[in-house]
Amino acid sequence: MHPAISAQGVMKSFGQQRVLDGLTVDIPSGVTYCLLGPNGSGKTTFIRAVVRLLHLDGGEMSVLGRPVSEVGEIYSQIGYMTQHKALYPDLTVQENMEFYAGLYGLSRQLRMERQEELLEMVDLLEHRSRLAGALSGGMYQRLSLACTLIHEPRLLLLDEPTVGVDPRLRQTFWDYFGRLTEEGKTVLITTHLMDEAEKCQRVGYMRAGRMMAEGTPEEILRLAGLRPLLKLWLAEPQKDAALLLAHGYEIEVVDGVVQVRLESHAQIKDILAAVSPLDMRLAEPRLEEAFLRLSEAA
Amino acid sequence: MSPSPARAGVVALRVIRQLKRDRRTIGLIVFAPIVLMTLFGYALSGEMSGVTLGLVDGGGHAGLRSHIESVKDFDLLHLGSQSDAEKLIAEGRLDGAVILRPEEVRVLLDASSLQISGAIAAAVQAGLAAEKAGQETVRPRLGAESSVESSIVTRYIFGYDLEMMDTVGPAILGLVVFFFTFINAAIAFIRERSQGTLEKFMVSPLSRVEMISGYVLGFSLFTLLQSATTLFVVTYGFKVPLHGSALTALAVVLLLGAGALVLGSFFSNFARSEFQVVQFIPLIITPQIVLCGIWWPLQSVPEFIRPFSYMLPLTYAAHALRAVMLKGAGFADIFYPDLLALSVFFLIFFAAATLMLRRELG
Repeated sequence: MHPAISAQGVMKSFGQQRVLDGLTVDIPSGVTYCLLGPNGSGKTTFIRAVVRLLHLDGGEMSVLGRPVSEVGEIYSQIGYMTQHKALYPDLTVQENMEFYAGLYGLSRQLRMERQEELLEMVDLLEHRSRLAGALSGGMYQRLSLACTLIHEPRLLLLDEPTVGVDPRLRQTFWDYFGRLTEEGKTVLITTHLMDEAEKCQRVGYMRAGRMMAEGTPEEILRLAGLRPLLKLWLAEPQKDAALLLAHGYEIEVVDGVVQVRLESHAQIKDILAAVSPLDMRLAEPRLEEAFLRLSEAA
Repeated sequence: MSPSPARAGVVALRVIRQLKRDRRTIGLIVFAPIVLMTLFGYALSGEMSGVTLGLVDGGGHAGLRSHIESVKDFDLLHLGSQSDAEKLIAEGRLDGAVILRPEEVRVLLDASSLQISGAIAAAVQAGLAAEKAGQETVRPRLGAESSVESSIVTRYIFGYDLEMMDTVGPAILGLVVFFFTFINAAIAFIRERSQGTLEKFMVSPLSRVEMISGYVLGFSLFTLLQSATTLFVVTYGFKVPLHGSALTALAVVLLLGAGALVLGSFFSNFARSEFQVVQFIPLIITPQIVLCGIWWPLQSVPEFIRPFSYMLPLTYAAHALRAVMLKGAGFADIFYPDLLALSVFFLIFFAAATLMLRRELG
């Protein structure tokens, strides 16, 4: 199956400033893909190039198997949520949804069904008659997402979709995105929140218009040389440390606590077979740390 | 807390800094008054040229005839009879006619422009005065029996005397619609950009032509409401005659409104905020008001600016509305050049507005 988005060495400059600098990435179909990176790293520019809101200076790109030059013909299969939210503050919640449903030519029946389903998902059923302009920031954001999803797009491009959304609802969003990918849809999200990135199936870390690292969250951690750390409180730390060392584990003793750098979580079972700790704690490496390391290395 | 000059100074400095970076505002502050004063100055100077005047020489009044022939602003057309003159005035090909007869001087005027009528009447008066002065020099004692005393009969071709509001009213109808539609459309498009909806449209099956067309349609409803109300006020409130069909008048206004909308959409590309849209008024709206022939006839617009008048939609709308309301013109009568010109204007800016939507996102 072709990737949902394939970019090979794409270039884009605004005046003297190079925003995309030979970016290469394949975003497979049917995954949640997180585009991470600091402000100005080119995430939004990349998304705008995908939907051909701007023309590339160089490189190749294809979207849903078609060259990017033909992307206009498949706009009905793309859902694009900008950072601006793109709503009419002087229309009600329902009128905004009806407007977007109308743009995509949804039948009356389908429109009603989709509206109910999405308003429920974004928890705005009770607010359907309110003016969008009177909604709180988070509600506005949720409505914008609902409008983006109204036509059941195959490819979702969401530019910072969870800004201002509370953690509970954010989880609902992620569950919904999960369901979409199970149906074979692709969700591309930009964010600068690491914990969001960790929920994605694949992550790409952009910096200065290039892809610095790309893969599953685990792959990225490994690439950065980060592994889980098992901390053990032992009755005889020196003796057990020597024992674990003999088994080939990478260990360090800090203030009497034995720390084991794990290759995989499966190793925990073997370690517990060899030693009997009084207490133990597992410290998972964070993506944030990985990206910091990768940035420093670059 | 009492007002602080220091805080005011901080605000002033900030405003100056902001303005300094806004070249458009600087340009407007400096050039708009110059442009406006130049336009008003010329248009109000009262000099007319290109008035087409028919002359039927039925004998006598040699002094008056030579005076009229010497007025360089009149394009003179010698005619055989009064009926020829009446016909040509009714068709709009003459602005007026002077019929010379030994016993009287008849002045036929196109009542739909008071300024032109006034200029012709003034020229006849001046001519007669000159004739009288000449005769007195030659025959100082003839006095009362002189032909100079023969009466001036003034007749308006459309059978009634018009007041200023009657001639201005129909054009104001067009102006009101043009002004509001232009401003509202420009602001609406600015908002489409700032709230991100335009960007979203661009990534939807909606084409640019559909989008602009949708706007034209949506606005047309309000244009219709607005023009119907204005028409009502003009005809009932100010008693401006409506000899033609109200529907024909509304059709003219709708076409003008559609032109104003696409013009507003086009110009919204050059503004980044609602504030900057307002700055377009002196540049886009005022020249139309000054040059379209509402307040003073096109004949009083200096010749080197006049071609510009003929590029403005309000010129044609004002002309067509006057023809419909004052002369009872029908659709066929105003098709050429007015409706045609309005249509061409609309189509040009429709295309321009559509293309600009693309360029903006380039």
